[in-house]
Amino acid sequence: MNLTRDILDQQVVDRAGQRLGKVDGVILELRDGEPPRIAAIEVGPVTLARRIHPRLAAWVEWWLRRFGPRSDGTLRIPWSKVRAIGVDIRVDLVAEGTAARAWEEWLRDHVVRRIPGTPQ
Amino acid sequence: MRRYLEVALGIFTSIGGFLEVGAIATAAQAGAGFGFRLGWVLVLGTVCVIFLVEMSGRLSAVSKHTLQDAMRERFGAGFFLVTTIPGLIVDWLVLAAEIGGVALALQLVTGIGYQWWAFPVAIGSWLFLWKGNLRLVEDGVALLGLVALAFVVAAVRLHPPVHAVVAGLLPSLPPAEGTTYWFLAVSILGALISPYLFFFYSSGAIEGQWDENHIGSNRFTAIVGMSFGAVLAFGVMLAAAMVFHPRGIQVERYEQVALMLVEPLGRPGLYLFAAALAVTCFGATLEVALGRAYVFAQGFGWNYTLNSLPTNSARFSLVYTVMIGSAAVLIALGVDPLALTVFSMALTAVTLPLVTLPFIVLMNDPAYVGEYRNGWIGNAAVVGISLLASLIALVAIPLQLMGG
Repeated sequence: MNLTRDILDQQVVDRAGQRLGKVDGVILELRDGEPPRIAAIEVGPVTLARRIHPRLAAWVEWWLRRFGPRSDGTLRIPWSKVRAIGVDIRVDLVAEGTAARAWEEWLRDHVVRRIPGTPQ
Repeated sequence: MRRYLEVALGIFTSIGGFLEVGAIATAAQAGAGFGFRLGWVLVLGTVCVIFLVEMSGRLSAVSKHTLQDAMRERFGAGFFLVTTIPGLIVDWLVLAAEIGGVALALQLVTGIGYQWWAFPVAIGSWLFLWKGNLRLVEDGVALLGLVALAFVVAAVRLHPPVHAVVAGLLPSLPPAEGTTYWFLAVSILGALISPYLFFFYSSGAIEGQWDENHIGSNRFTAIVGMSFGAVLAFGVMLAAAMVFHPRGIQVERYEQVALMLVEPLGRPGLYLFAAALAVTCFGATLEVALGRAYVFAQGFGWNYTLNSLPTNSARFSLVYTVMIGSAAVLIALGVDPLALTVFSMALTAVTLPLVTLPFIVLMNDPAYVGEYRNGWIGNAAVVGISLLASLIALVAIPLQLMGG
């Protein structure tokens, strides 16, 4: 397996096929005397911004904590939850309610559902 | 039988994506200003867009990735965030131009100024997306778009001189007004080769669950559909060349453009022009707004799909909502739709390589397309034409803005 080719920037989907986000970061665990191994994958705007510049990440984090619906939107998924790696990375989670969907749910409940005539 | 139906639908789809406000406006200006001389640019643009549309379908059918998914995956986060910004600006201006096209068509028929139509048009197109589904959008626009055949009928009725038309298919250096010539040339290329079309098309292929069996029909659809669109655009240029060029009329307003159908077709020509402009621009409004929503959703990994409720893809649905609403403001403020169209098409040409070059890399990567890799002709045509368009645009836009 090639970390940057097969894992990083891949689509993450939950048990039901709902999209959680992209793999914005990979967290490795360093172990004494043994090769490092993948501990978790991370999904979220702060992780994404950190890949451009740390200052951008700090600014995004501040902005999200100030105005975001809840937390800063970072979801860390333990590697043990990863079920399959193919076109998408399937994880053993339910997307609804996780940090990665905070904006989606806030916009759905506070904006989309309030637009008159929207099929519920 | 289902296969044939699929191909037919695909052809209709590409009419909606090919002929829109940009192609109509730039082809009309080219015909009025330079007769048949810019015909070769139409050919060049059509060849390039055939390759690119075919590639969009093939990439999705083989790799099961949309173009944007594959780009994010292959080129990473930095590339995605950096190229998204110019793409967003250009798409927003193009979207405003398309809304302006529909608004102007309504002005031609009702006499009420186009500014007043901006929001009704925006709300109408938004409702289509919010309530409808992809099939309805594609089929409706495609069938109604056949009214654009009026341009071809008009061109034939005007009896353009065949030898001059054929001579225009060969590249020629401009007469005296070089800047305008090159500016129009890149505007035509920008109008024909629209990145939103590839994002939209490849997303449609994924939503339609294409696989390797679709490669043949995809190629056929790309060639026939885009060529058909090109014939329509050519009709516009020929009609404009016959009606305006001999009289030395420069097309500066959409009302003038309508005259090119009034001369050969009489009074109904005005209504046919308005109908063709309205339907094709309406289709393009939907495609540009959706294309950008797909780019965001697939770039960030959000839920997206037109075939379920907006409540299941809130961020996706709100991206196209905000795009349409904010672009309409530009038209409501009274920005001249024709100038906006030609300018946004030239800007599209500048940004082309940002999409086409990484696209070509993907199409040569066995990890994505396996044995269905690009041939050298496709590679060379797309790289050559898009770089050429971008370079000429970079020179011609500042000159045009300074020279007026």
